[in-house]
Amino acid sequence: MQDERVSIEHEADIVTARQKARELAAASGLSRTEQTLIATAISEVARNIVSYARRGEVVLALLEDHGRHGVLVVATDEGPGIADPELALKDGYSTSSSMGMGLPGARRLMDEFELETAVGKGTKITMRKWSR
Amino acid sequence: MAQPRQDPRFQHRMEIDDEELNKRKAFLEFSDEDAQVLRNLGEMARTYADPVIEDFYRHILSFEETRAFFRDPKLLERVKRLQKEYFLRLTDGEYGKEYVADRLRIGRAHERVNLAPKWYLGMYAFYLRAVANRFLGAFDKEPDKALFAFLSLMKLVFLDIGLAMETYIQEREATMRRQQEAIRELSTPVLQIRERLLLIPIIGVIDTHRARLITDGLLNSIRANRARVVVMDVTGVATIDTRVANHLIQTVTAAGLMGASVIVTGLSSDVAQALVGLGIDLSKLNTACDLQGGIEEAERFLGYRVVRSAEVAGVRPA
Amino acid sequence: MPVPILKQGDVLIAFIQAALTDKDLVRFRDELGEAVGRWRSRAVVIDVTALDVIDSFATRTVRGIAHTARLRGARTLVVGIQPDVAFAMVQLGLTLEGVTTALDLEDGLALLEEGGQRGSSDAR
Repeated sequence: MQDERVSIEHEADIVTARQKARELAAASGLSRTEQTLIATAISEVARNIVSYARRGEVVLALLEDHGRHGVLVVATDEGPGIADPELALKDGYSTSSSMGMGLPGARRLMDEFELETAVGKGTKITMRKWSR
Repeated sequence: MAQPRQDPRFQHRMEIDDEELNKRKAFLEFSDEDAQVLRNLGEMARTYADPVIEDFYRHILSFEETRAFFRDPKLLERVKRLQKEYFLRLTDGEYGKEYVADRLRIGRAHERVNLAPKWYLGMYAFYLRAVANRFLGAFDKEPDKALFAFLSLMKLVFLDIGLAMETYIQEREATMRRQQEAIRELSTPVLQIRERLLLIPIIGVIDTHRARLITDGLLNSIRANRARVVVMDVTGVATIDTRVANHLIQTVTAAGLMGASVIVTGLSSDVAQALVGLGIDLSKLNTACDLQGGIEEAERFLGYRVVRSAEVAGVRPA
Repeated sequence: MPVPILKQGDVLIAFIQAALTDKDLVRFRDELGEAVGRWRSRAVVIDVTALDVIDSFATRTVRGIAHTARLRGARTLVVGIQPDVAFAMVQLGLTLEGVTTALDLEDGLALLEEGGQRGSSDAR
């Protein structure tokens, strides 16, 4: 399957990534609600890239597993990395306050969520959503 | 809901890439030599294709269960043509990704018309026997050549059977999933009982997936019916634990974002107390003692006033 | 791209057409604040029917707008949140405190006519 790569540098790129993800999810047979969940999760994660890392990339791909279809999202950046990933992932680490990075929220929206990060080494977030 | 995919990326839902195909051929010990043997039989195959097909369909039409699939004469003609193409492809010499895609399509077609494995396995058996006889005739003086040719063909046919059967199973599972989905949707009806007032009676077990379906259905109904109030009755919900309670609260919050108020009925005070004790904040939930109370409250909220008509004043109340 | 702000009596109505940039939103908030002051509006209605995603950033922005409006004596309504968007917002844990919500513009304006108190954030 072909990957879709979206470079994330400006705010407008967040919208591009969201749109492409929506199209991909639709092609995969995911419902409108599932499409919106993915687009919203990408919005959160891509905005982090713009806010904290200045530049990064979102890669989208279709998934298939024994009849189930899904979407893979990998967001990477070479920003400062997250000093305390456990804290960043803690539920209750508010998405509505301006301090939050929206990671617990994004994780709730998706079916699978992995965070790889280290100070000075950037961040990589891998997320998957499957059709039902 | 999900549509059948026209997207070329989904030509075959099964993942049969080159690596997988080679694995299968290796397991069947189907080599390039076999491919060559079959290619050499191409011309012979073209001469006996028609009579074999005729025999084949005579056989199929002589059995009631399989005759049923071919009542339409136009369909029968079309299928005969496709069958001949299939037959000739066996001695094509090309057995790569395109060949595989073709076979997978056949498997899907069988599932769609509900042609059970016992019938199409029987059909494959018929082929092999018919062809074996032809080979014996053609390699009259060299029976071992006939045998080797037959063995090559047999390997290929088993490759085909594997592909067709797996696709059939996969399509079956997809059909079952769709049916399960339909049942789930039916099991939580959204009822409009007055203008701008919806009733959702929830019955049974609520897992995360069902909760999402219910919320999804509710929110879409709010938009479709322009509902301002929803009465959500949970009397029939088997167990209301913290997870279910959180689902309820989320549903109520989401409905609120669309301007609709939700009245939850059927939540006994025992259950409510237990939930509060477990740390669930129920203050955001509007509850009513029972369904009737909930509906009456909803109607009042919407400005309805239900008045018993004077004519039945003489009738004893229920 | 500036967000068009319409005046209907003492209510201001704004339609958000697409995802706005930081700059657009700041501009919108400022223009709205200014308009509320100038027209002594009692309410601001923000129609988000066209938004296919409302994330934490958009939510913070709307709350900021509501705050600005409140400082100038106007309440804020958000109308037109789509079902799938409402679902995602709730999954994300986003709330629109300080903002009243209604199904669409028609309902929002009717609510203002009634002087009603309904909405996600208003207590019952």
